[in-house]
Amino acid sequence: MMAAIRAIAPFAAFVALWAIVVAVFHVPQDVMPSPAAVAAAFGDAVRKGVLTVYTGETIRRILIAASTGALIGMAAGFFVALNDVVAEVTLPVIRFFQSLSGIAWLPLFIVWFGFSDKTIVVAVWYTLFFPVLFNTVVGVKTVPRVYRNAILTLGGGWSRMVFDVLLPGAIPYIVGGIRIGAAFGWRVLIAAEIVIGAGGLGYFIFKAEAFHLTARIVAGMITIGTLWYLTDFFVLRPLEEATIERWGLVHR
Amino acid sequence: MGTRSPLARAKQLRGILGFVLLFAVWQAVTSSGLVKPIALATPEAVFSVIISGIADHSLLINTGVSLERLVLSVIVAGTLGIALGVAVGLSRRFGSFVEPLAAFFNAISGIVWLPLAITWFGLTWKMLLFVIANSVFFIIFFNTLLGIRTVPRVYEQAVFTLGASRWRSILDVLVPGALPGIISGLRLGLGFGWRALIAAELVGATQGLGFMIYSAAQYLRTDVILAGIVVIGIIAYALDAVLLGPLERATVERWGAYN
Amino acid sequence: MPSKINVENVSHEYFNPNTSQRVHALEGLSLEVPDGEFLCIVGPSGCGKSTLLYLVAGLAQANSGRILVDGRQVERPGRDRGMVFQDFAILPWRTVERNIGHGLEIAGVGRKEREPIVRRYVELMGLSGFENKYPYELSGGMRQRVAVARTLAADPQVVLMDEPFAALDAQTRNVMQEELVRISLYERKTFLFVTHSVDEAVILGDRVIVLTRRPGRVKATIPIEIPREQRRWDVLGVEEQFARYRQEILRLIREEFDIQEHAAS
Repeated sequence: MMAAIRAIAPFAAFVALWAIVVAVFHVPQDVMPSPAAVAAAFGDAVRKGVLTVYTGETIRRILIAASTGALIGMAAGFFVALNDVVAEVTLPVIRFFQSLSGIAWLPLFIVWFGFSDKTIVVAVWYTLFFPVLFNTVVGVKTVPRVYRNAILTLGGGWSRMVFDVLLPGAIPYIVGGIRIGAAFGWRVLIAAEIVIGAGGLGYFIFKAEAFHLTARIVAGMITIGTLWYLTDFFVLRPLEEATIERWGLVHR
Repeated sequence: MGTRSPLARAKQLRGILGFVLLFAVWQAVTSSGLVKPIALATPEAVFSVIISGIADHSLLINTGVSLERLVLSVIVAGTLGIALGVAVGLSRRFGSFVEPLAAFFNAISGIVWLPLAITWFGLTWKMLLFVIANSVFFIIFFNTLLGIRTVPRVYEQAVFTLGASRWRSILDVLVPGALPGIISGLRLGLGFGWRALIAAELVGATQGLGFMIYSAAQYLRTDVILAGIVVIGIIAYALDAVLLGPLERATVERWGAYN
Repeated sequence: MPSKINVENVSHEYFNPNTSQRVHALEGLSLEVPDGEFLCIVGPSGCGKSTLLYLVAGLAQANSGRILVDGRQVERPGRDRGMVFQDFAILPWRTVERNIGHGLEIAGVGRKEREPIVRRYVELMGLSGFENKYPYELSGGMRQRVAVARTLAADPQVVLMDEPFAALDAQTRNVMQEELVRISLYERKTFLFVTHSVDEAVILGDRVIVLTRRPGRVKATIPIEIPREQRRWDVLGVEEQFARYRQEILRLIREEFDIQEHAAS
């Protein structure tokens, strides 16, 4: 209980400060709305179904892109990592694509798929795919050769190697890659939704700007932030900690 | 750092081979007719766009404008981020209070502020600067904060028993101790800043690389798009690899902090 | 002759964030340390030995009672009470030289004046040739030598040592103990040395104080009447006197340990 209060306290303090500043300095509502106004806009958007629909679209997109991107990234990563030469040839290229944001590819995807849902998902998929791929390769390569040899001398074959040795050994890195990919992917998703305009929370806040509904913009921003924070806190971070702790592996 | 073992050289060559293969595949896919030229421009087309873009300065101007925006934002937001990160981190209790807030704002940093920034500044350079500086600030602030908070307490205690004042302990212990975190923050900040910049330029600018590739999309000019992507990618790669490497080597690596 | 250090009826409790429990470390502890004495403090685990040291250092404030050094109450850490920590705590971003000279730097001693002093301690602690190395390049034993050199170079009047050799291997430890005996002969300082090892306490101390189990107070005081010059392992190891001291102290600690065990069960 105490821990929950301690967790909420900074945010409560911030909201209080926000309310005070807006009131004391007579900040106009369309420049910076009060917390109450934002809450009202939030309620309004939920009631009209707008916020729920858009949130659903955003969540759907990130889930599709994340699951397929992560799975394919891992598979490709294993494939690449198993041969040292292949790994050395492809890693720099992979790293290059990883530092090249998915957002930069949007114009090309627009040419291919138009201003559609598909464009957005592909961009996010790309953004998630490369960090997972890269980290999987690095992770597999750091699994000590001794372990691989051990499995071989136990008569283990291909699938044993992957599932009993390489996968567990590479998991901290893989999870790290998923976390990085998700962080970038989330931002690319919102940015893409702003640019493409095919629904979603990004579109929600962008459209609100067009109508000068500042309270709605802030409500949308808070929704985005909270969603991301919750995902990281309840899904990603525990996942990372569980795998590292369980295997006692050290992560940078 | 000058002598490279034959092993390292082989590795380097293989890396270059990777890019060569990439080009080969690209060339093959476009010239074989597998993919229509309107969907994917050929390497020569992209190359000629780059050449002419340099010749008539248009590419140089766009690149320059984008880089200028990044550098300005990083200087402003970076300085603020480090200063505030240190200030907040000084009180351990306060630092752990602020950390969740910093994490939250870090999560929505960058492009999410675009609509609000447009409301405040319109479609101006100020808006762009705000969006970029936003990404850069929170990451640097957060990493600096974490860096300060993770300096082992015993180092501070040790210098206190040598007679150091609070101020002295900040300069001699907390700041050097936080350096890995600060550098981490700078590196991430540059990366995030560049990404936010491109995204913001897509919708909110009339110049710059982001604008260039977005307007090219309207005309289905995949050669211009790809030329832009190449430049954006090279800069992104360089920011991460080239810029901070030397700084890291001179400080953190020399102290073995990563050991 | 007034004592150098006066611990007057000190009681102290603190909150351990890791176990979320209040620890009653010391209760009504009093002791006097004359100037120039090498005092060793031993006791069962968790008896508050380190806490006492931190209080004398001024890194923490006693809940009740007071601590006087040279007649003045201890309120904050300072150069006059140097401390060597269990985990060395030398700064990883400074070379050996700069670490050793840190106290002097803080005191405003100019580089020219610092150099000979630093050099002296580098030689004294056997660190010649390593002046420009960074801590991560040194072994545990060498790092601890730097830590000791750093504290001594700052010229404190009281040297507090919190199990400084605990993290070293047995051989290095013995060498360091003999070196410390040698140093204490040359430098006229008051040493307060906390340790788990009874052997260490007997070879180093002019007096050994045994603390009770938590909350700690002084259980017994044993003066070690072996001349300092004779405190070497090859000599002492077989000395009958040494064995008797060790026996006695172990018995006292064991007593406290057994009480503690019974209390726990």
